[in-house]
Amino acid sequence: MQQEKYPGMQGSQNDNADFAIRLDDLGYEAGGRPVLSGVTLHSSARRIGVVGRNGSGKSTLARLLAGLLAPTSGQVRVGGHDLCRDRRAALRTVGILFQNPEHQIIFPRVAEEIAFGLRQQGLDKAQAAARVEAVLRSFDKPHWRDAPVSALSQGQKHLVCMMAVLAMRPRLLILDEPYAGLDIPTRRQLGRYLHRAETRLLHISHEPGDLEGCDELFWLDRGRIVAQGAPAAVLPDFTAEMIRLGDLDDIADLAG
Amino acid sequence: MISLTSPVETRAHRWPAGLKLGALCLASTGLFLVPGLAVHAGALAAVLALYAAPGPVFLRAGLGSLRVVLPFVVILLAWHALTGDMRQGLLITLRMVTLVALANLVTMTTPLEDLVALIRRLTAPLRRMGLPTGALEIAVPLVIRFTPVLVLRAETLAEAWRARSRRRPGWRLILPLTLQALDDADHVGEALRARGGALGPSGSE
Repeated sequence: MQQEKYPGMQGSQNDNADFAIRLDDLGYEAGGRPVLSGVTLHSSARRIGVVGRNGSGKSTLARLLAGLLAPTSGQVRVGGHDLCRDRRAALRTVGILFQNPEHQIIFPRVAEEIAFGLRQQGLDKAQAAARVEAVLRSFDKPHWRDAPVSALSQGQKHLVCMMAVLAMRPRLLILDEPYAGLDIPTRRQLGRYLHRAETRLLHISHEPGDLEGCDELFWLDRGRIVAQGAPAAVLPDFTAEMIRLGDLDDIADLAG
Repeated sequence: MISLTSPVETRAHRWPAGLKLGALCLASTGLFLVPGLAVHAGALAAVLALYAAPGPVFLRAGLGSLRVVLPFVVILLAWHALTGDMRQGLLITLRMVTLVALANLVTMTTPLEDLVALIRRLTAPLRRMGLPTGALEIAVPLVIRFTPVLVLRAETLAEAWRARSRRRPGWRLILPLTLQALDDADHVGEALRARGGALGPSGSE
């Protein structure tokens, strides 16, 4: 397989060191209960990781960063933009991959799916078609152009979602537990595609193994950041804590 | 009746969608205005010839999607046989099959994005009035995309039922299926928003 980098990702558009994610005293409430509180996070790292248990507020954080939710308190700025208010900037700045590709794929065929976001960005039909071809080729999948999505496997659908989002050339790609339920070969293959993309990544996961390659890691617990640093520093403590919790029985506690 | 565009390329694939739909409109109106049994039989034969023109693969696919009409044909003919008006029954049946076949032909030879673009053009007056037509444009691909997904969900629910009961699953699955569909709708809506929304590339929502 060619080791060709995703076209257009090299160059001034994407490697500004001053691209930063800034969360200042971020809070989010749902149904009267705080999901996130007092989250302050400043990072310009190329690969950021967020680790935490299920229910720690990771998915909410992903959506706040993508501008899909408005914070109850505090501020979110990605690359200097308020992505919740400025959806046009959001389309240029951030892309988000959700856990379940079934929930993200809107069109019946692969080429239409990839072209959708491009048309939303304002590209005309011909430009969108050209970009779709380029993306498919950079992923070595030109034969997928007219493939029906219903005929694809789970891992292939993940790849289509990835192509559709990366085609929009976001400066930051947010991954909300992208490997859930995938087998080892599929994980490794998808991971390789992500690595090649050269976009900044923010990877959210409950699985420590997924986040070892990050430059900076944040541990989110019950809506607050409890630790941050290099993966080698944070992950052992995280794993130990998770094992300790596994010896208890907090699964018995009801949310209400 | 919801079939995808045929991978078999025909000359009709390149004709403008508006032209094909307009012709469909005219043909439908024409068939309703003409009472002759012979004319209708001829029309059906002509449409079938159109199906056969691009080759056996196209014909097989086309006839396959027409199978949906079969139960209606049977019911209509049986009813009219009972009421003693076979001629009317045949007329209605022929007309129905011809029109469905014609409509299916348009679907099979029109790429989805052409249809969506056509809807966009037709709803331009509505946009000028300030109405958000992006939702209409996206509705067509969404239906095509999610119909098989919902069918699969129904099958999975039926499986879950059969794993714990010897009785056949029935109306009790409707509520969980609906809830799952609503859930799916929520998620898809979110994914839509994340890539620009259904309101078109106008920027601010």
